[in-house]
Amino acid sequence: MKANKLIEVNHLTKQFKDGMKALDDCTVSFEFEKVTVIIGPSGSGKSTLLRSLNLLEIPSGGEILFAGQSITNDNFDIRTHREATGMVFQNFNLFPHLKVIDNLNLAQKSVKKKSILEATKTSQDLLEKVGLSHKINNYPNQLSGGEKQRIAIARALALSPKVMLFDEPTSALDPEMIKEVLTVMKTLAQSGMTMIVVTHEMGFAKEFADHIVVMDKGKVIEEGKPSTIFNQPKHPRTIQFLDSVLNK
Amino acid sequence: MDFSFLLEGYYLIILLKGLMMTLLLAVISVILGTLLGLIPAFFRLSSHKVLRFLGTLYVEVIRGTPLLVQVLLIYSFVKIKVVVFMGVDLSSFIPGMLALLINSSAYVSEVIRGGILSVDKGQKEAGLSLGLSEKTVMGKIILPQAVKTIIPALGNEFVTMIKETSIFMYLGIAELMYSALMIRSETYAVKETYIVVAVLYFALTFPTSKLMGYFERRLKVSESK
Repeated sequence: MKANKLIEVNHLTKQFKDGMKALDDCTVSFEFEKVTVIIGPSGSGKSTLLRSLNLLEIPSGGEILFAGQSITNDNFDIRTHREATGMVFQNFNLFPHLKVIDNLNLAQKSVKKKSILEATKTSQDLLEKVGLSHKINNYPNQLSGGEKQRIAIARALALSPKVMLFDEPTSALDPEMIKEVLTVMKTLAQSGMTMIVVTHEMGFAKEFADHIVVMDKGKVIEEGKPSTIFNQPKHPRTIQFLDSVLNK
Repeated sequence: MDFSFLLEGYYLIILLKGLMMTLLLAVISVILGTLLGLIPAFFRLSSHKVLRFLGTLYVEVIRGTPLLVQVLLIYSFVKIKVVVFMGVDLSSFIPGMLALLINSSAYVSEVIRGGILSVDKGQKEAGLSLGLSEKTVMGKIILPQAVKTIIPALGNEFVTMIKETSIFMYLGIAELMYSALMIRSETYAVKETYIVVAVLYFALTFPTSKLMGYFERRLKVSESK
């Protein structure tokens, strides 16, 4: 294992029950303390790849190494791994029956076995970081989409994960709310968090990605620095895809 | 039409006792049926093929056969000596109750299953992604949300059970329908007795479903606030 690689994905395949092949011999790696943005047309397997990284999708074949350890092994402790990989979803998935503070506290108490005081302290710090301290006692339904997603980010961060996975975090948001979520993500990137982001926000990719991965039909077709990918894409599918998203 | 028997305390007490017994049977069958119904519900939601099959078989067989047949079948299998407890013959009460419980559990299990399935899949994924166990996800995230769908539907099941308990008449348990038979054979007021009984059943079920409707709206309000 190379020292700077946190996650290595080798020949990963995922075939769904209906026969759809979402990942087809996909090989890629993600570096420690770097922001990797995965782009590609819809249906290219971006989300499936991301969801495989914390085993919300169980791969059909191939392997994933996390810090050198195979997570696709049968006797691997999935829960400890998930604790170390925070995930942010397109639809926020906040727990609607719990107040903001309890959304953040739940896993800290249940997984990290923290006392309610410790958990609340961590939660308060995180809420301040995402600028939502005043919403601590609100229910998710009382928040705007942008606020919900910032809370969801704080909730994932509450377990001090080693990597944060973002699955189209701004796709369900109104344009004016996208910015506030991206701001939180940028701050997080600057703090040195390892981030893997599936997004259509090319602005974020250009400005904050250390590495861009382009996927098509379940494979990685091209990867490199943002400047290279955006200015001199090589693969014809990349050129076609960038053309369609940047000149719309 | 001669409703004069309603003015006699003797008949009123018979009716009232029958009414109480009907309510008691319905309450017991829904409460215990709900607890029992959790088993086939979780069997059917299991990822284990055999459990899923057993759960489905149970629910389909119970829902696909008449309650009367189930009651008489269980009554003929479960033989208990005649024991009278608080004026109720347990030898017919226990098998009857058992049949009603089994019947109720099959319907309630579908209500529970539906409630659990109504919770968005993303909730489970979010819970799992935080490293929570399947058990914690179910207990702390999914069930509390499913309850909002389950409770009102359980109310409907309660209304159904109030009506279904009339089947106990065949076992000689003095619920409302049995009381009606007694009064009918003593007064010969056939039409009148059945009308009174119908009104009494309705007086139980109508407020119950109205009350459930009210709770349902309350739950919806608390959800959208």
